[in-house]
Amino acid sequence: MKPGSRFALAPSLIAQERFRRTPPIPEPLPDLMIPEIKSTSLWNGLTLWIIRKDNLPIISLRLIVFAGESSSPEGLPGMATLAAHMISRGCSGLSSSQIEEEIDFVGGSFSTSVHPDYALFSFTFLEEHLDRSLDLLSRMLLQPSFLRREIDAIKRNMYYNLVEEGSSPDFLAKRQMLRLLFENHPYKKVTFNEEVIKNLTQKDLVPFFYNNYRPNNTHIILTGNLDLETAQRKVQRYLQRWQKREMRPVQPESPESNKKRRVCFIHNSNAKEATLYLGNVVIPATNPDIFPLLVMNQVLGGTPNSRLFLNLRESKEYAYQAFSQIEYYKNFSVFFINAKVRPEVVEASIQEILNEIRSITNKKVSTFEIEQAKSYMIGNFPLQIESLAELTSKVAENKALNLGDNHWKRYYENIMLVTSDKVFELSRRIPLLTPVVVVVGNSDIVLNQFGKFIKEVEIFNTKGVYLGTYKFD
Amino acid sequence: MKMKLWINKILIILWAFVFFFGAASGIQSQEKKRFPFAATLYKLKNGLHVILSEDHSLPIVSVVMVYNVGSMNEQPGKTGLAYLMENLMFQGSENIGRMQHVSIINRLGGELNATTTVDRTVFLQRVPSNQLTQVLWLESDRMRSLQINAAKVEKAKQEIIGDIRNRKAANPYLESYWRFDQLIYPSFAYNHPVIGSEVDLQDLKVQDVKDFYNTYYVPNNAVLSIAGKIDREKVLTDIRKYFETIPEGKEIPHVPLSKSPEEIPIHESMESDQVPSPGFHLGYRLAHPSSDDFYALSLIEYILLRGSTSRLQKRLIKRERLALHMDGDIEKRYPVARFKLFILNNNQFMVQRAQRAIFSELHRLKTSFISSEELQKSKNMFKMDYIDQYTDSLSRALFLAEEFLFKRILVNPSEELLKYFAVTPTDIVGVSNRYFKEDSVILDIEAK
Repeated sequence: MKPGSRFALAPSLIAQERFRRTPPIPEPLPDLMIPEIKSTSLWNGLTLWIIRKDNLPIISLRLIVFAGESSSPEGLPGMATLAAHMISRGCSGLSSSQIEEEIDFVGGSFSTSVHPDYALFSFTFLEEHLDRSLDLLSRMLLQPSFLRREIDAIKRNMYYNLVEEGSSPDFLAKRQMLRLLFENHPYKKVTFNEEVIKNLTQKDLVPFFYNNYRPNNTHIILTGNLDLETAQRKVQRYLQRWQKREMRPVQPESPESNKKRRVCFIHNSNAKEATLYLGNVVIPATNPDIFPLLVMNQVLGGTPNSRLFLNLRESKEYAYQAFSQIEYYKNFSVFFINAKVRPEVVEASIQEILNEIRSITNKKVSTFEIEQAKSYMIGNFPLQIESLAELTSKVAENKALNLGDNHWKRYYENIMLVTSDKVFELSRRIPLLTPVVVVVGNSDIVLNQFGKFIKEVEIFNTKGVYLGTYKFD
Repeated sequence: MKMKLWINKILIILWAFVFFFGAASGIQSQEKKRFPFAATLYKLKNGLHVILSEDHSLPIVSVVMVYNVGSMNEQPGKTGLAYLMENLMFQGSENIGRMQHVSIINRLGGELNATTTVDRTVFLQRVPSNQLTQVLWLESDRMRSLQINAAKVEKAKQEIIGDIRNRKAANPYLESYWRFDQLIYPSFAYNHPVIGSEVDLQDLKVQDVKDFYNTYYVPNNAVLSIAGKIDREKVLTDIRKYFETIPEGKEIPHVPLSKSPEEIPIHESMESDQVPSPGFHLGYRLAHPSSDDFYALSLIEYILLRGSTSRLQKRLIKRERLALHMDGDIEKRYPVARFKLFILNNNQFMVQRAQRAIFSELHRLKTSFISSEELQKSKNMFKMDYIDQYTDSLSRALFLAEEFLFKRILVNPSEELLKYFAVTPTDIVGVSNRYFKEDSVILDIEAK
C-alpha cells in the first residue's frame, strides 16, 4: 500500500454509494433457444433422437428400453431390474471386467437405472470413440452371455441394496405410500422387497430379455457434435442385426386415486425424527392441466421459499424440511409431500400440511405469489438442461414418457399462461385432501399422540406386511 | 577430397533434417490450439482480477468469486477463522439481511454454494442471465460492507462447533485424516483442519474476524470469474461500477513456506475404539501445483486409482481382495501437492498385505514401461474428466479462476490437453522415480 493513499481508510469507514442500498432492476427475460431434437427410425423399428451440441468433444447417449419394472412377469417382480443390469455383465467375447476396460478406454461411464415404465442406460464417451462405443453397446445388447455367476452377483447386489435402502426412513415411507396407491394395480410389483429376489432364475430371465429387448421397443438419444445422417449411419451399422419382434402395445390404465384419507405407520426405533409422506394419484404429465398443477406445487412446496417450508419449519418449527413434488408415470402422476418432523408433533404436522392444502383449495393464491412461483420455474428451467448429461437425461425422460413439445419447446409459454384462477380451479379438482399418509418413526413417541383428528392408523412392518389397525376413540 | 565431400553430404543431410523437423515443429507451435470457449482476463485498478467467458447457448450466467485465502492463512490458536468467515458472508450487511442472499438467488430459480479449503474460499452462483446485475450487487455488497458483530459471530461459532461434533460422530476416521495432514505437512499453516478446533473457535474474538475480513476479503486478493450469456462490454461497465469502487486492501501477508518432514519415511499408528475396521493413510509429497510434472503425475493418478480398472483397484479390491474400500487422489493443494490413499481392510494382516501390494505397484510403475494401450486408456479417462471441468457455465467459471490462481495466466485447455497427451511411457517411469521414493508417509489405524 502506498503511504498516504486514500486506501488507508478501512472500507467500512468510507460512506457507501447510493446504488449499494437497493437491488438493481433485472433486465427482461431473455429468449430461451431450446436445442432442437431431430428423429428418425431404422428399418428394424429402433427410434433415434439426436440433439446437436457442437462445442464439446463428448457424446452422451441414453438408451430407453420399454421394459421397466411394471413389465416384470406376474409373480416375478425384480426381473426387469435384473435383466437391465445383466447387459454390462458379459457378452460374447467379452467378460464383465473386459467390458469395464472397454468403457474406461473410451473415456466413458455407463450406468443403469430401472423406472416402473422403462429401463434407462446412460453411456457417455469421447466423440473420437463413437464407433468403438457403439460396437460395445451392440455386443452388450445383442449377445449377452447371462452367465450364472454374473446373475448371482447381480441378485446379491440387488438384495443388499434393498436391505441397505430398507434402513432409510425415506425409502420405506415412499415405498409404502406407492404400495398403497398401487394396491389393486399391476404397478404394485414395482414396490417389491428383497424377499422376492431369490425367485429370479436364468430360465425366466432369458425369455424376458429376448421378449423385451428389441429394437422396436427401444429409443436411443444421442447428444453431441453429430448430425442426424451420421448418427443414423453409425447406429445402423452397429445395430442393424438387431431383430425386431411383434410386441403387444402395453397401455396400463392409471391406478385410481385414493378416495378416503388413510394413515399408516411403520415403526423404526433408530429414527431420531419422523418421516412423513402424503400422496395421491393425479393427472398425467400429458394432460394440459399439468401446468397449473406444477405452479401450484411450486407455491405449496417446491422450494424453501414455499408455503410448507415457511409454515412447518420457519413458523411452527415442527419440521426440518417439508417439500412437495410431482413424479411422472406413463398414464398418471403421483403428487406427494414429504417432510421430516420432530417425532412428538407428527399429528400436528399432518394437520398443518392438510391445512396448507385446504388453504390453496379454498382461497385463490395471490397473483403476486403465482408470478413469483412462475418466475422461479422459468428461471430454473434452463439450469436443468445446461450440462450435456442433464440435457440428454431430460430429453430421455420426455421421450420415455411421451411428454411431447408441451414439456419441451412450449414449456416456457405453458408456464407463463398459468393464472391464479387456473390454479384455483384445478386444485379443487385434484384429490389432494384424501391422500395416503405414511409415517415412519419411533412408535413409543409417535403413536401416543394420535386421536385428536386422526382416529385410525394402519400398522405395517418394514417389509410392507400389514400388522393391524389402531383405533383411537 | 572425397572424404570431405562425404562429410559435407552428411552435414547437408543433417541440416536438411534440422531444417525439416525444426520447421515442422515451428509450424506446430504456430498452429496453436484454439480455446474451446471464449475467455478474457482483466485487472481492475484495485487489483481485482476479472475473467469473462461469453457463451450464448442458454440464458444462464454463473458467477464465481474466489478469495485467495483458506485455513493456511490462519494463525496458531485461531483455527476455523476462514470457514467461519465463509459462513458470515451469508449473514448480511448494511444493505442485505441475514440469509437474504440465499433467498434472493433461490427465488430467481438460481443456485448457490460456497466452500473453504486449505488455500481458497469460493462463492458460486448460477442464475438466469437477466439477473446478473443482481448477483454483482450481492457479491460486491458482501465484499464491501459485510456486517460483523458479536451476535453473528457467536451464532456462526456455535453452528460450526455443532458441525464439528456432528462430523466427528458421523465419521470415526475423521481424526485420522487430520493426523495424516500433520504428518505429511509439518508446517502449522498447512496441517490443521479447515473446519477449525472447538477450543480455538470458542476463543475467537469479533476483532479477529474483522481483521481477517479486512485483510483477505479485498479486491486485490480475489478473482471474479463469470461465464455464460453475457454482453462483455455491459458486464465490464457493471463490474467497474460495483467492484472498482471498493478500495484496494493492504498487501496480503505471506504464508511461511511449507517445510518437508525432517525424518523420512514416516510410519505411525493410532488406535481407535470407534472405527469399525482397521485401515491406513498413505501418501507422498509431490511438487508445486504449477509444476510441469503434473502432466505425467495426473496420468499416474488414473493409472493407479481412477475407475474400476486401474491398477490398485484391480489388485486391492478385485483380484486379491485386500481392501474393503479405497479412495485417493492427487490433491493439487498449494504450495505442495500430494498423492494420498485411504484404505480400509478386514484386519491388521490385510493392512500389511495391502501396503506391500501398493509398494509393489509403485515399484512396477518405476521399473517397467506401461503399454501404449493402458497409457491411452488413462489419457482418455483423464480427457473426459478434464473436459468435464468446463462443460457448463459454473464449472467453467470455476475452472478458469482456479487455473488462473495456480498459473497466473488464462489457461487454454486445448493446449493443456495436448501436453497431457504428449506424455510417454518414459515420462511415467521418470516422474514415478522422482516422486515415489523412500519418503512415504503412512498412518495405520488400528481398531481396538
